[in-house]
Amino acid sequence: MKPGWKVQLVISGAVIPLCALLVASHISLASTQAKRVEFNSEILPILKAHCYECHAGEKNAGGLRLDNRASAFKGGAGGPSLVAGNPAKSPLLDRIMGLGGKPRMPIGFAPLTDAQTVLIKTWIAQGADWPDASRAKKHWAYINPVKPAIPTVRNAAWIRNPIDSFVLSRIEKAGLKPAPEADRTTLIRRLTLDLIGLPPTVAEVQEFLADRSPNAYEKVVDRLLANPHFGEKMALPWLDAARYADSNGFQQDGDTFQYVWRDWVVKAYNDNMPFDQFTIEQLAGDLLPNATLDQKIASGFNRCHLLNGEGGAIAEEQRNVILFDRVEVTSTNWMGVTMMCSQCHDHKYDPFTMKDYYSLMAFFNNVPESGVPPGGGQYRIADPWIEASSDSEKATLKELDSKFSDLDKTVKEMDKDPAKNPMGKDPAPELKAARDRRQSAQRDRDNYKNNLPRVMVMSDAQPRKTYILQRGNYLAPGLEVTSTTPAYLPAEPADFPKNRLGLAKWFVSRENPLTARVHANRIWQIFFGLGLVKSAENFGVQCELPTNPELLDWLAVQFREGSKASKNLSETAPWDMKALIRLIVTSATYRQSSKVTAQLWERDPENRLLARAPRFRMPSLILRDIALSTSGLLNDKIGGKPVYPYQPIDIWEGLAITKERDFTYPQSKGADLYRRSLYTFWRRTVAPGNMFDASVRNTCKVRTSSTSTPLHALTTLNDITWVEASRNLAQHVIKEHAGSAPGMIAKAFQIVCARQPEKTETLALTRIFNRATAEFSANQKSAEAFLKIGDSVRDASIPVAEHAALTAACLAIYNLDEAMTRE
Amino acid sequence: MNPEFEERIGVTRRQFFGKSATGIGVAALASLLQSEGIASPTPGMLAPHFAPKAKRVVVLWQGGAPSHVDLFDHKPGLMEKNGQQVPDAILSKARLSTMTAAYKNHPVLPPIRPFKQYGKNGTYLSSLLPHIGGISDDICLIKSMHTDAVNHAPGVTFFLTGSQVPGRPSFGAWATYGLGSMTNDLPSFVVMTSTDVGRTCGQLFFDYYWGSGFLPSKYQGVRFRGEGEPVLYLKNPEGMSPELRRQMLDDIAELNRRRLADYGDPEIETRITQYEMAYKMQTSVPDLLEIDKEPQHILEMYGPDVHRKGSYARNCLLARRLLERGTRFVQLMHSGWDQHSNLDTQLELQCRDTDQPSAALVADLKQRGLLDDTIVLWCSEFGRTVFVQGDIKNPAGHGRDHLGSCYSIWAAGGGFKGGYVHGETDDYCYNVARDPVHTHDMQATLLNQLGIDHTRMTYRYQGRDFRLTDVYGKVVREIIW
Repeated sequence: MKPGWKVQLVISGAVIPLCALLVASHISLASTQAKRVEFNSEILPILKAHCYECHAGEKNAGGLRLDNRASAFKGGAGGPSLVAGNPAKSPLLDRIMGLGGKPRMPIGFAPLTDAQTVLIKTWIAQGADWPDASRAKKHWAYINPVKPAIPTVRNAAWIRNPIDSFVLSRIEKAGLKPAPEADRTTLIRRLTLDLIGLPPTVAEVQEFLADRSPNAYEKVVDRLLANPHFGEKMALPWLDAARYADSNGFQQDGDTFQYVWRDWVVKAYNDNMPFDQFTIEQLAGDLLPNATLDQKIASGFNRCHLLNGEGGAIAEEQRNVILFDRVEVTSTNWMGVTMMCSQCHDHKYDPFTMKDYYSLMAFFNNVPESGVPPGGGQYRIADPWIEASSDSEKATLKELDSKFSDLDKTVKEMDKDPAKNPMGKDPAPELKAARDRRQSAQRDRDNYKNNLPRVMVMSDAQPRKTYILQRGNYLAPGLEVTSTTPAYLPAEPADFPKNRLGLAKWFVSRENPLTARVHANRIWQIFFGLGLVKSAENFGVQCELPTNPELLDWLAVQFREGSKASKNLSETAPWDMKALIRLIVTSATYRQSSKVTAQLWERDPENRLLARAPRFRMPSLILRDIALSTSGLLNDKIGGKPVYPYQPIDIWEGLAITKERDFTYPQSKGADLYRRSLYTFWRRTVAPGNMFDASVRNTCKVRTSSTSTPLHALTTLNDITWVEASRNLAQHVIKEHAGSAPGMIAKAFQIVCARQPEKTETLALTRIFNRATAEFSANQKSAEAFLKIGDSVRDASIPVAEHAALTAACLAIYNLDEAMTRE
Repeated sequence: MNPEFEERIGVTRRQFFGKSATGIGVAALASLLQSEGIASPTPGMLAPHFAPKAKRVVVLWQGGAPSHVDLFDHKPGLMEKNGQQVPDAILSKARLSTMTAAYKNHPVLPPIRPFKQYGKNGTYLSSLLPHIGGISDDICLIKSMHTDAVNHAPGVTFFLTGSQVPGRPSFGAWATYGLGSMTNDLPSFVVMTSTDVGRTCGQLFFDYYWGSGFLPSKYQGVRFRGEGEPVLYLKNPEGMSPELRRQMLDDIAELNRRRLADYGDPEIETRITQYEMAYKMQTSVPDLLEIDKEPQHILEMYGPDVHRKGSYARNCLLARRLLERGTRFVQLMHSGWDQHSNLDTQLELQCRDTDQPSAALVADLKQRGLLDDTIVLWCSEFGRTVFVQGDIKNPAGHGRDHLGSCYSIWAAGGGFKGGYVHGETDDYCYNVARDPVHTHDMQATLLNQLGIDHTRMTYRYQGRDFRLTDVYGKVVREIIW
């Protein structure tokens, strides 16, 4: 940020920020006039966005074309439009400013902003340099990264691995110093939350504090990377990216069995599946030779889309919506660019054409699907799908089947026995009973079978022709195209199959400039809140430039190619996800304290320099997990059918209009109430009420949003989940750490926040306890009502007032900023 | 507008509040500034592009799609065409849903109830809408609406978010993002839903109809529910008194302030403020819902249904109470008009339940001087076919299918021309004949009334500057003053 900005911003403060910003933007523009304006990055995007609608290609209103140098300088019917070095004699400038008595350009659209106008004026004044397309500098993200040299730094003692050299070099250039290392308690809480999404136990903290060995920290990292909850934590952002949910969306919103795919993701992370395989199996597992059941399940990635089963839905229209969605999700996820613009026209900024878009769509256009799910019942599974029962499910089905067959046999035998089945008379009571038993066995078997997973997967069993659709309209096909990767990027080798498998292999080939960068950045983002490229969803021309491009490239190549052992670096295989994560979390950069001084905040509010560790609130899904695990309620079973934890009773009430099935929320009982949030049934039309700020899982989302609103506060203060957790946490400390109130409160604090509270903190929390004790002692009924919240059973031996008062104190602890934050 | 710009404003605000943290409390400071008239509770990300005509919006969503043929688009000539085929030339221009796309016969079903003239300007409306007729001089009736969609969910999503595919920010989210809030005690964007009494209409309301898409999630609409708790998690846990909660919040704030002093992260300051606002909402929302405090004559304006929780009438009254307390955007979503096979009974029932309250809301806002700067928009996803769906001889089982190529909506207040009828359709209420208004045009016009140039309110996401109106839309000057 330029000094001019800062002064303006601080002086005007919140009172008239907009005016201040407008003034500031003028000032900053004025001050950049001396700076050389770059045609390709600054002028061309303006022309593309505002002029090319009428002045490019075959469209040349007034005879003017602005899409190449010669035509632009030659001008249109009215003569030359540009005079290099002379803005006053360049009619183009007059027209965009609306001078000279002619209509302001672009006609019918918003005028250019002052900033854009100034930029064009400056560019003309500086000589209107318009490089040939062939000389145009390629956008950085489309150039294959090579491993840059590791920079030397002054404070070499700080370096733990190459990441730190890149970060410190940048920090030193800014004249700053890195923050000191965070204290050990903060570190283990940070690591544990980041890697498995749960806080450390008191014993784990103590063990780490007591371990004075030089690799104590790395031991914790390795323990957590091997923990099966690691896969659950890593799966969360991937499910957002894959717009995963447990229902189809839209009016009928039928349930699906895609949870089998979700379990595949968790397992892949836990098994440290190399990222190239992770990519190939999800994009084309079904096309692998002798594909296994798991590989077919993996291809469910491209079947996690919405499905519209509305009465009048036009199948072909919906099928095209699904195809668009696959292009969008795939290009955002692997290329870090959105192709959406090219659905209707060539991309205005990035080098992608409509032909590229539909050639990419052609990869997904061979699925034997109609576009709409079948009607009827709770589950609506659209073709193609596979049965994916687990061994134990198969065994149970077999059992139920044979139970039915046995009963059937018995009934049939009795039917033949005239004593039991006399002609023209009522059957004997024992036959009647046997028939009833058979009927119920049949019902049990059929119900069970109907609930066995049928996973929607990909298949290329129905080859179709693909056409460029004019303005994205499926009723207006144009030229035919074939499956091809975007022309601007390095072509796929000739021996790659011309199908999704070839596409997947191309994404993870060494020639692809995007995939490794995009994913190194996404993994970085998990641990630092922001990516090195902040616009994690867009690496195209309009992206936010990387703050540390050398670090990004180094990480990308390191990730893609692995490395031999060297100084500060152990040997790793290509595409090794755990190795990349280990590298990140063992860096000195990651281990810094997240405390920030006012000066540093002012200098770098977004922490782009990384001269401190980031500090951010955990996602709501993890906040719930924290409450469950610290209160001892957590059922840490991994995988399986989604569950239905507490929701306001009538949460699905609005859906009950659909009479074809019962939409009453089938709240779970017992241990299923306390599964990790990852396993909560995700209905697309009504997301879980207490999972605020979460992706709604309708479109691909690769950046998390963290906001702070009163509604979030109400959730963690009042939802059963947090009140019940507080009661159980209170019960735990009363039973296990009986003693003075301050002592028990300090213990509860330690369980949630990992550190021992300071005296003043214990004092404040004890004040809540004391007031609550007074109130609950005077009003036993309130105390009892408060303690009745949640299904878990209370230990009745604990005095009611004490238990309720300590519950109130624990609820306050869960609502501390610190408890919700990874510091 | 791009996110970077937004963040700079955010930073400014944080810096400002951050500096004040040691002295005067943030909330106190904000309200101090507010009472001095120099700061709104939360400024929008955008200054209006020009002087706004309106600062509040209430959308009266008529879900399921009311029949414009029966209610608004008066074509006396249809009576003599009863049972005759709609000419192919008329039919060929519009896309139909799969329910009737394969129909070979398209016999005309004329309006099932007579039309009447209302108001000084003599606007023709169905005799089933006497109350809306009573305010006809205040409404701007647009008979030439048309949309790209022919099915409900895509149609609703298109009207309310600008795209048929879910995931874009809703109109209300854009408006509150752009203009900010006018109250600290209530949400800026509130949604309430109602359904027809018999639940004959299969239309559901999905939360992406009021979602924030790629805008920060704080701009999404807050649903006030008819049954149970009006706002999720609003009530203190059973057994916890307001006094105990108050003290608890004070102690939480004290501990958070200590953490702020240690860590310096302004996000902590934000959290403290949000917890305080949460507490305020716990009183302001129940107060809002106490409609019994309204005088008898006001309750009577909205009709007897106002006493039924979750009814459209009650929601209309609550909308007025919200708007006068500073909520910027209220979206009422009513479901009941999808009359494929029960037009004969349901049309009348839906009119009975929505006519009086809709008109009452307009009149009530007007008598309080709020109508001038409040847009009341009565609208739906599309209209219905003039030809019958089902057997024309069986009124008990027939109705009309969806029609996107033309339909009617109306707007009142906020600078929309009262007593004006815009646009003409062909003889069959099937295609627009004059002055078409596309969904994006209407969105552009609504934003225009809020002081926003729809081409300039953009948000950069995935490298693209998104708008509510995509790359389309033009302000319809004829329908505004």
